[in-house]
Amino acid sequence: MITAQRLTKIYGDKPAVDGISFTVEPGRVTGFLGPNGAGKSTTMRMVLGLDRPTSGRVLVNGRRYADYPAPLREVGALLEARALHPGRSARDHLRWLAASNGIPRTRVDEVLGLVGLESVADKRVGKFSLGMGQRLGIAVALLGDPPVVVLDEPVNGLDPEGIRWVRTLARELAAQGRTVFVSSHLMSEMALTADHLVVVGRGRILADCSMTDFIADHATSYVRVASPQRSEVADLLRRQGLDVALHDGELRVQGLDAASVGELVGKNGLLLHELTLVRSSLEDAFMTLTADSVEYSAHSVPTTTTTGIPA
Amino acid sequence: MTTTEFSRTVDLDPDRNVPGAPRPGFGHTLRAEWIKFWSVRSTFWSAAMLFVIGVGLTVLVCATNAEWLASDGADEHPGSFITFGMTFAQITAIVLGTLAVTSEYGTGMIRATLAATPRRGAVLAAKALVLTGTLFVAGTVTAFAGYLGGNWFLGNEGIGLALSDDGVLRSMFGSGLYMAGLGLLAAGVGLLLRHTAAALSTVLALVFVVGNMVFLLPGAWGEWAGKLMPGNAGSGVAAPVSFNPDLLDPWIGFAVFAGEVAVVLVIAWVTFRRRDA
Repeated sequence: MITAQRLTKIYGDKPAVDGISFTVEPGRVTGFLGPNGAGKSTTMRMVLGLDRPTSGRVLVNGRRYADYPAPLREVGALLEARALHPGRSARDHLRWLAASNGIPRTRVDEVLGLVGLESVADKRVGKFSLGMGQRLGIAVALLGDPPVVVLDEPVNGLDPEGIRWVRTLARELAAQGRTVFVSSHLMSEMALTADHLVVVGRGRILADCSMTDFIADHATSYVRVASPQRSEVADLLRRQGLDVALHDGELRVQGLDAASVGELVGKNGLLLHELTLVRSSLEDAFMTLTADSVEYSAHSVPTTTTTGIPA
Repeated sequence: MTTTEFSRTVDLDPDRNVPGAPRPGFGHTLRAEWIKFWSVRSTFWSAAMLFVIGVGLTVLVCATNAEWLASDGADEHPGSFITFGMTFAQITAIVLGTLAVTSEYGTGMIRATLAATPRRGAVLAAKALVLTGTLFVAGTVTAFAGYLGGNWFLGNEGIGLALSDDGVLRSMFGSGLYMAGLGLLAAGVGLLLRHTAAALSTVLALVFVVGNMVFLLPGAWGEWAGKLMPGNAGSGVAAPVSFNPDLLDPWIGFAVFAGEVAVVLVIAWVTFRRRDA
C-alpha cells in the first residue's frame, strides 16, 4: 500500500505537486493519470525517496521508502527517464542492482527470462530499442520480487505486443496481491489496465475513484438526431420520457438506443436526416476533466469523436 | 477510501523468489559500486591509459635524458625523472574520478543508484573507496613499472636509483596516493557540478593551469598560493626529487592536498544529501 498525505513539492514558487492525498491499495492496479506536467513523475520520485517533499509525506506499507534497508525488495520501480548507462550490459545492470540489495545472482537470470531479454542480456543497453529498454526497466522493477510495483509510463515506446504484455503483467502482479501503481497520460491505456484511478492535473487530484465509477460518471452516450421537423421529433421523444437536449441544431437523446429512436420517429410519420449513436470516449472524459489543468494547450476547435468506450 | 469490487487480499509468500537474501549493509553497497565501476569500458580504458602514459613517458624521458643527466652539465636530479610520466597519467585519474560520478547524472543512472541505496552517504563512501582503491593500485603499479623501465636507462649511465635511495620508494606509493587523491577531488567536483565537461575542465584547469599561473603572482602571495594549490601541494609526494624547488615538503604537501580534497568532498556530500536526485 502506498499512502500519500498532503504531499507537496514546490519548485521555486511553482507547486508541481500541490498537497495531494491518496491511497494505492494492494490487489488491484491503480492508474495514475494526468496530462504531461501534472506532477505524476514528481510524485513517483517522492514515493521512491529521490525527491524530498516540500511538505507532507508518502509512505510505502507504513514506512518511508528511504527507511527500508533493502528497498528493491519492497518497491520495484520503472522510472520514466531511462536510468541506465548505455555502455553497460543488461545483465551487469541487474547484477549491480541485485548486489546492492543482497539479492541472489540467480534472480538476475530469472528476471531476464521473465521479460524475455535472455538472448540480449550481454549486449550494451545503448544498443537496445526503446521497447527493450522498457523491458529491462521492468526487469529492474521485478528484481527484488517486491510487494509494491511502481511503473512510470510503462507503455511509452512499446509496440502493440509489448503494450499488451505490460497490461497483462500489471494485472497479474495485482492478482498476486501486490500493490500496482501505474502512471500514464493515456486514458485509453488506463481504461484497459487499471481497476482504480487517481487523476491529477496541475499537481492536484481531480478524481480518485474506481474505473467503473469513472466510466459511469464521465463516459456518457447519446443518440444524435437531425430532422427537418426538429420540434415535432423533440416533443415526441419527450413524451416518451426521454431526455432530449438541443445542441447546434441537432437533438441529443439519452435513454434509448438509436434503432428504437428511429422506429419511434418512423411510426409517427416524421422525417429523419441523421440518426447516430455517439459515445463520448473516456479520452474525451479525461480531456474534459483535465482541460483546465493542462499546462500547455493548443487552442484548437473541440471535435466530437464517435469512438466507442474501450472494453 | 472506498473498496471496489477489484480489491482482494492475497497474501504474498514472504520468501517469494529471493529466499535467504541477507539484510544488506555497506558491503553490499560497495560490491554494487565495484560491479558498476568495472562494467563500463571507460574504466578499463582509463586505467590502461594511466598505465601506458605513466610508464611510457617515464621510460621515454629517462631514455632520452639519461646521458645528459650523467654529464657534468646536468642541473636536474634523476629523481625528478623517474616518475615523470605520472604528471600526465594524472589526467586519466581525473577523467576516471569525474566519470565515476558525472556519468550517473548524464545517463539518469543516479536515480537507479539512489532508489537501490537511499543512504546517500553510503553510496558516496562506496564510490570513493572503489575509486581510490583502484587508482592507488593503478598509480603504484604504474610508478613501479616506470621505475623499472626508466631506471634501466639511468643505470646504463651509472646514475641508477635504488629503491632504498632517499624518497624513491615513497614516490612509488606516493604516486598511487596522489592518483587516488586526484580521482577523489574530481569525483567531488563532479558531484557538485553533475556535468562531465564542466567538472573535467574545472579540475584540469585547477591542477594544470591555475596551479602554474599562481606562481606568477607577486612576492609571498604567489609563492604561498603556488605551494598550496592542490596540484602542487599533492604532487610532491609522487617524485623522489621535485622539479620545482619551491614546493612544500612531500608529506606536508600531501597533507594539505588531502585536506583540500576532504573539504571538497564534505561540501559535495552535504549538497548531495539535500539535493533531489
